[in-house]
Amino acid sequence: MAKSGDGIRILQGLLVFGNVVIGMCGIALTAECIFFVSDPHGLYPLLEATENDDIYAAAWIGIFVGFALFALSILGIVGVIKSSRTLLLVYIILMLITYAFEMASCITAVTQRDFLTPNLFLKQMLERYNKSDADNNNDKWMAEGVTKTWDELMLQKHCCGVRGPSDWQDYTSTFRSNHKDADFPWPHNCCVMDAQGSPVNLDGCKLGVPGYYNSNGCYDAISGPLNTQAWGVAWFGFAILCWTFFVLLGTMFYWSRIEY
Amino acid sequence: MCSSWVVLAFCCLGQLCADQSLKPQIAAPQLATNNPTLTTVALEKPFCMFDSSLHPNKSYVIYLYAMKETASAISSQVTDNSGKPLDSTFQQTSGGQLGPYKAALFDVPNCASPPKLADVGDVNKVSDVLKQYLFRVGDDGTCLYDPNFLAVCNPPLAPDTTYRFKYVLLDSTEGIMKAQTLWSDPIKTRRVKLPLKIDTWPGRRSGDMIVITSILSVLVFLLLAGFLASVSSAVM
Repeated sequence: MAKSGDGIRILQGLLVFGNVVIGMCGIALTAECIFFVSDPHGLYPLLEATENDDIYAAAWIGIFVGFALFALSILGIVGVIKSSRTLLLVYIILMLITYAFEMASCITAVTQRDFLTPNLFLKQMLERYNKSDADNNNDKWMAEGVTKTWDELMLQKHCCGVRGPSDWQDYTSTFRSNHKDADFPWPHNCCVMDAQGSPVNLDGCKLGVPGYYNSNGCYDAISGPLNTQAWGVAWFGFAILCWTFFVLLGTMFYWSRIEY
Repeated sequence: MCSSWVVLAFCCLGQLCADQSLKPQIAAPQLATNNPTLTTVALEKPFCMFDSSLHPNKSYVIYLYAMKETASAISSQVTDNSGKPLDSTFQQTSGGQLGPYKAALFDVPNCASPPKLADVGDVNKVSDVLKQYLFRVGDDGTCLYDPNFLAVCNPPLAPDTTYRFKYVLLDSTEGIMKAQTLWSDPIKTRRVKLPLKIDTWPGRRSGDMIVITSILSVLVFLLLAGFLASVSSAVM
């Protein structure tokens, strides 16, 4: 049975509008995820070494899902305007698959974010920073990544350790086994540097004189961008999925009402 | 006659008492926040502690002795029988375990014009202020292994150990001890924990995760139900 002409027109209009929004959101999702994957803050080596880098996997899925949403929204618009049963059936099935992938991406991003605690980064920093004797190539790669990332982090964000410089004093570490405590109570990158890149006053830094060493921890500088990434992927994806839910229900209803 | 000798005796006793009630202090915690560390302790130099024993025309030098607190049961003497201070080294006393060892010698700090701690903020003055104000025991990591090293060796201390320190005033020409402080309060170096013991378990799940997972699961279920309903209604 067919609905009245006006009702059909309204439903078609709504579905076309819904698909346009999905298409635009798909492009936005792709752009956002490409931004996150490009790692502007250089924090990926830290996650890679913790073997907990699934928020990047979620961002990669987001890139392809966004593009798929854009392509499928065009298919949907064509199918709704032409009232073609085949096109709309293909649209619904492919959209359900894309929906499942995007759902996986959202849940992965938000679940993995819970794992990013200060203790995780602390343990990794103590075990891998400045590690020179590696077990295998993978280990060596991770240790180099961690060392380089921490060095840049301490220099650019003017911080030391995860919670503070006392992390280097409270725990043994690979760094401690390579450097004596008398000369290096903490890495020299924790000292306030002058324009040439050497510590302003090394004795002041070693003794912990305020103003000559970085006294705050780097955890905020690490968790800030990673949290933004996880929430950006998860919540934006969630919003798209809520909208897509209604569009899909409408499309299924429309499809079931088309006469041959 | 008798009374003047009594007065003189009291004066001398008073001077010795004044020296004896003073102890080496740890450096000001607001200045040296990283103190004591794993292997070093920064002590304030003895400002105005020996001034009553100084004569204007003589030259003096200060020795710093360090020993583990457990050694006080064995021997805590810093002079031999003739009043000359001991020349013990870190190796001879097994790092302060068998008795005190000489960790440093330096000039008597200037009591009249002590370094102003507020000057630490100035980058040009900070080295001088630190050098005049405090001394870091355990600073030299290489002198133990350097066969050419001839000065007083100040090797790193042991972690998680209690040490005590003493300053001794010495007349440089006679080589005899003139005054000494008491042994300082016990100062313990830091202790380390193993990184293996760090617990990386995140604990309970955050609210976001529960909301997103539960709502998305419900939506997917409803979508599949809707799909089945529309397919079955189209087939029939």
